[in-house]
Amino acid sequence: MLEIKPVFSALLRSKAGAVMLLIQIALTTAIVSNAAFIINDRIDYLSQETGYPEDEIFSFTVKSFDPNLDISQKFEETETMLRNIPGVENAGLFNASPLSGSGSATGLSLAPASERGPDVRTAYYQADENALDILGLSVSQGRNFRADEVIVSQTRDVFPQVVIVSRALAKELFPEGDVLGQTVYFGSDPLEIIGIVELMKGPWLQDSKPDNVAIIPFVSASAFQHIIVRTQSEQRAAIMRQIEDLMLEDHGKRVIIGLKEMDVRKAEYNSSNTLMLRMLVVLIIVLLLVTALGIFGLTVFNINKRTKQIGTRRALGARKSAIINYFLVENAMICSIGVTIGSIGALFLGRVLLEHYSIPALDNMYILFTALFVIAISLLSVLMPANKAANISPSIATRSI
Amino acid sequence: MLSMKNISKVYQTEKVQTHALRDFNLNVDEGEFIAVTGPSGSGKTTFLNIAGMLEPFTGGDFMLDDVNVGTLSDNQRADLRNQKIGFIFQGFNLIPDLNLYENIEVPLRYRGIKSAERKRRIEECLEKVGLASRAKHLPQQLSGGQQQRVAIARALAGKPRFLLADEPTGNLDSLMARQVMELLEEINREGSTIIMVTHDSELARRAPRNIQVVDGQLADFTLYQNKAMDEIAAKAGQPAIEA
Repeated sequence: MLEIKPVFSALLRSKAGAVMLLIQIALTTAIVSNAAFIINDRIDYLSQETGYPEDEIFSFTVKSFDPNLDISQKFEETETMLRNIPGVENAGLFNASPLSGSGSATGLSLAPASERGPDVRTAYYQADENALDILGLSVSQGRNFRADEVIVSQTRDVFPQVVIVSRALAKELFPEGDVLGQTVYFGSDPLEIIGIVELMKGPWLQDSKPDNVAIIPFVSASAFQHIIVRTQSEQRAAIMRQIEDLMLEDHGKRVIIGLKEMDVRKAEYNSSNTLMLRMLVVLIIVLLLVTALGIFGLTVFNINKRTKQIGTRRALGARKSAIINYFLVENAMICSIGVTIGSIGALFLGRVLLEHYSIPALDNMYILFTALFVIAISLLSVLMPANKAANISPSIATRSI
Repeated sequence: MLSMKNISKVYQTEKVQTHALRDFNLNVDEGEFIAVTGPSGSGKTTFLNIAGMLEPFTGGDFMLDDVNVGTLSDNQRADLRNQKIGFIFQGFNLIPDLNLYENIEVPLRYRGIKSAERKRRIEECLEKVGLASRAKHLPQQLSGGQQQRVAIARALAGKPRFLLADEPTGNLDSLMARQVMELLEEINREGSTIIMVTHDSELARRAPRNIQVVDGQLADFTLYQNKAMDEIAAKAGQPAIEA
């Protein structure tokens, strides 16, 4: 039989411990639901599809210091050398490495700069006709660059006339209607969209529009170059070990720096997110443990304090199950008030986080699940001491000490 | 209605066996008022605990209203306690967080009695012990004597066949003790069977039947044989009744 009313009156008359526990349960519910939501949001972020075969790609930077070098020609030779390494699928010059946190962005508009039309912010990569293959991408609509469309130049006097865009960018530029064959403007230079890639990410995953990416067939013939190499995934490590020697063999007057795998660059870029994720997981575990221990401790304390009372109840005819129920009901009361207050607190905390820390709006299901989880933990924590209480002998009642 | 035959109780520790009761025989008839006396450590409380099914016995037969107590499960003993026995403890054992009404309600709830019937019985019992106006008070707001009267009301509310009282006046001054004793006598006159453990010789003599526990065994006397009881106690080397 559940003794709701007498348990409630008894609770009201000795509130202190219960109120402390209630506050702890409320705080746990409020913090854990928000932390769990943020964790899930970050896990989604960290495990998002980037479109690239990250475990096949690495990149590095080359600085040439030979003043007499014909840069365009030398890099053509270097590219050929790299592509001929066994295990290398493709290699080429890029202005930036995807997912690395460093790159270029611009506003593409539907009208030349002089007419000041609306523009759409996008990251862009500059590379030759091998760009898609090097990055392990392919067009889903339209076509790839032809070799004759690629401009190799030290200045921007001559600029390409075509561009390949990501689906996200295409949609934002032309929400309705055809995209292929349309013209967009890079400053005042017109570019015809010739192909669409379903998914490719820019250098900044944390950007509000990480999916807006354009590839422009332009190679800047400068002494400072970024090279991206795609290999067979199991060959990548071995090739990376020999790349510096091969590059210097190819041409001695250059320096190789920043040799890194694409997934490592991405992990470094996301390291603060990963750290936050781990800290939140630790926070959740600690909070839940402290709450569980708090409930356990309070119940043990209450049982020790009420040993005689429990014996008396048993003497008056309480079955063991009635004693267990008493503590479960008492705990369920504290806990349900606690999670109710905690849920309101969670909504409030979620709103504050939304306003001040650009965290997405808290999904109410997280509050519900956290509340249920806290109740479950709480009942489990009370079960063991309650069982101990039920085993108190009724003969305690007649002991005078 | 209560019959104990050759009841024994042995407390076993790793090395020592203590016989708290041995070959204990007792028959109690309906409507009796029995005072149990005996020196400290003689087994009075053990006897009361076994009579009230608060602890198991080691050997012998114990019949309560034709039920063989030795064969009952823990739950069955709890139910039987709840239905047939009312307890009055030396320290009152009221629950401090519950008011008088709720305290008396405790055994009635365990029996599953409906709310309206509970209310009727609680009010009737509070009336009987003269505390009807204080139903909402907490135990600590009452004097010791009043608290014990609440405990008596709690014991009576279940309309038990037996009242087991363990030193019911042990924590009270003589005036309050007398009032409590008068209440018990009144209850006995109305038909309840009472077994009372006491140290107080004066109170014991007021009970129609006195039994004495010495070294875990029973000596049975009527009120008129108190002198003989003293002699047996003297043989056992202890005063029978503490003055």
